[in-house]
Amino acid sequence: MDQTEAPPAAAEPAVSPRVDFWSSFVWIALGLAIAAISLGMDRMERFQASIYTAPGLVPGLLGLAIALMGAILLLRAVNAGALRPRRRRPLVLVEHWRLIFSLGLSLVYALVIVASALPFWLVTAVYVTTFVIVFQYAERRASRQVPRGIVVALVHGLLAGLVIQYAFEELFLVRLP
Amino acid sequence: MFDGLIGFANSIWHFARPEVLLFALGGSLVGLIIGALPGLTATMGVALMTTLTLKLPSDQALLILICTYVGAIYGGSRSAILLNIPGTPASAASCLDGHALAKQGLAGRAMGIATSGSILGTWIGMFFLALFTPILGEMALKFGAYEFFWLAVFGVVISGNLTGTDPLKGWIAGFIGLFIAAIGQEGMYAYDRFTFGVHDLSGGIALIPALVGVFGFAEVLNVMKDKPQKFIINTYDTVIPKIRDVLQYWRTVIRSGLIGTFIGIVPGVGEDVAAWSSYAAARRASKEKEKFGKGSVEGLMAAETGDNACVPGAVIPVLTLAVPGSAPAAVLLAAMLIHGVRPGPLIMVENPTFVYDVVAMMFFASIGILIYGLVLTRLLVKILLVPRALIMPVIFVLCAVGSYAIASRPFDILVMLVFGILGLVMRSMNYPMAPLVLGIVLGDLLDKSLRRGLSLSDGDLTPFFGRPIAFVLFLLVLLTLLMNIPVARRVMGQGTALLLRPFRRA
Repeated sequence: MDQTEAPPAAAEPAVSPRVDFWSSFVWIALGLAIAAISLGMDRMERFQASIYTAPGLVPGLLGLAIALMGAILLLRAVNAGALRPRRRRPLVLVEHWRLIFSLGLSLVYALVIVASALPFWLVTAVYVTTFVIVFQYAERRASRQVPRGIVVALVHGLLAGLVIQYAFEELFLVRLP
Repeated sequence: MFDGLIGFANSIWHFARPEVLLFALGGSLVGLIIGALPGLTATMGVALMTTLTLKLPSDQALLILICTYVGAIYGGSRSAILLNIPGTPASAASCLDGHALAKQGLAGRAMGIATSGSILGTWIGMFFLALFTPILGEMALKFGAYEFFWLAVFGVVISGNLTGTDPLKGWIAGFIGLFIAAIGQEGMYAYDRFTFGVHDLSGGIALIPALVGVFGFAEVLNVMKDKPQKFIINTYDTVIPKIRDVLQYWRTVIRSGLIGTFIGIVPGVGEDVAAWSSYAAARRASKEKEKFGKGSVEGLMAAETGDNACVPGAVIPVLTLAVPGSAPAAVLLAAMLIHGVRPGPLIMVENPTFVYDVVAMMFFASIGILIYGLVLTRLLVKILLVPRALIMPVIFVLCAVGSYAIASRPFDILVMLVFGILGLVMRSMNYPMAPLVLGIVLGDLLDKSLRRGLSLSDGDLTPFFGRPIAFVLFLLVLLTLLMNIPVARRVMGQGTALLLRPFRRA
């Protein structure tokens, strides 16, 4: 195996001012929406309650604070050159296949265990097996071990499904979805 | 002092049963493995273990969780030394000298230093946990709505300031967390806020599914989005810690232990800041500055002592104020509430032995890491080389099932998914997650304290600034904010220089 030198610290990737620019709009919109909804909340005046205990008071203030911080982020992003013209790099989805696949498969798995009547161990086994086969395929193909990789993934998936179901239902007494 | 020692001895005796010790060793081992695997964090480990220990008696469940927490913070040093990748963010500082030692063929010695530093750090933190908790508990009895309001604001502001590279983004994350805590029925009138008719939202966003999403699902996606790296691990020498290393750097050990514990007490800051601060302090004070970053025993010792001392430190505000000192401590706080323990100012009145039970749990955790530090090196090296494609789907299944297990609500699985995606997106834009978590934890306290305080004073703001503890907390919040405004920072710097000039001349 070859050694890859990784950066020592969990270095954070640089974020372009343009990303901050667009995210600031999200925070401003969210903050203002929170404040507006809070303003419309019941003030419990019919109970002779103090205006200072109104349910919307704190979220309203939080909304304004979020909007204010969003506005500061917006100004900062503009100062950092968010509006300067730049060459747009097209988004190539294939470059992000790992993220899209793991996210998609995991979402489908979670929705199936919530919404379907299929046995938990079976759904889990299928999910784990698929995950392992897909993410190990390139490596297995390079070393001409595809059938072995499929067998390993199947065994791993079945073991994971059965062991997790047994542990939760029999040991932790949790009824699985 | 003697009361504390007797309380500690009683707690040790209380836990000295074979099955309980087995739980402690099991928790430490799980923590060690989770910590050693890059991508799996202590927060995720403690959150997942919370869901697995729901049916156990509270003392045993909390023992497992604390052992997992301590084990995970220690375990991160293994991958830092052997792979130059921090197993948890807390071990990032250990990469610098730990891996440099490994490259010199001294990986065993580095692991020994990490073991001794972690154990000593835990013990120093334990000492202050036992010493400070009753004192702070007594002080916390003086806290009213005004003080708790400023404490909640201070927690979010300082956590946002110190846990990321951009304080503004940290504060935004913290305030988003505070807002998330406002979703659902509020505590005074049972009024539904931001539920939009969704019945499941009335109960609010449960902390554990949200944490499992942010630190579990988001981590799974984060690890899987990058191509896997392959490693070789060089041969290593003996892992038995050398007494000489400890004796030679005893000042560094004590200093790092103190720094780690203090940073642990500060709400929401956590082990990574403790490790870096201890490392920086050790470098400043060292006679061998030039060795730092090139395999300095002192540097590695400082980082490892600092991050592990932070663990008991982070538990001090959990017990006394119900405010977490770090992200894993936030999970621990939630777990305590689930198990019927009520941490907070009244803990020394209602449940005084619990504090010493927690100290004893930390002690068992340190014994666990000593044992595994000496005997489990080869197995851990093998675990480090297990492909992530085999581990991550199983972690995700545990995230889903664990979120569901707490209240048997399918809705919590959806919460986990939403927070996982939110965590991934926000982290990709450099928003730190610790302030978000702290915000969710402190939101209810802030909400109730502000409304109660205003109601008591009939809208008069004077008590928020006029009471001594409230005023100090307000000043800390103000200073933290001003320190991040360049003009204010310059003015404060010039003012300080002006004030110190007579002393410098003298």
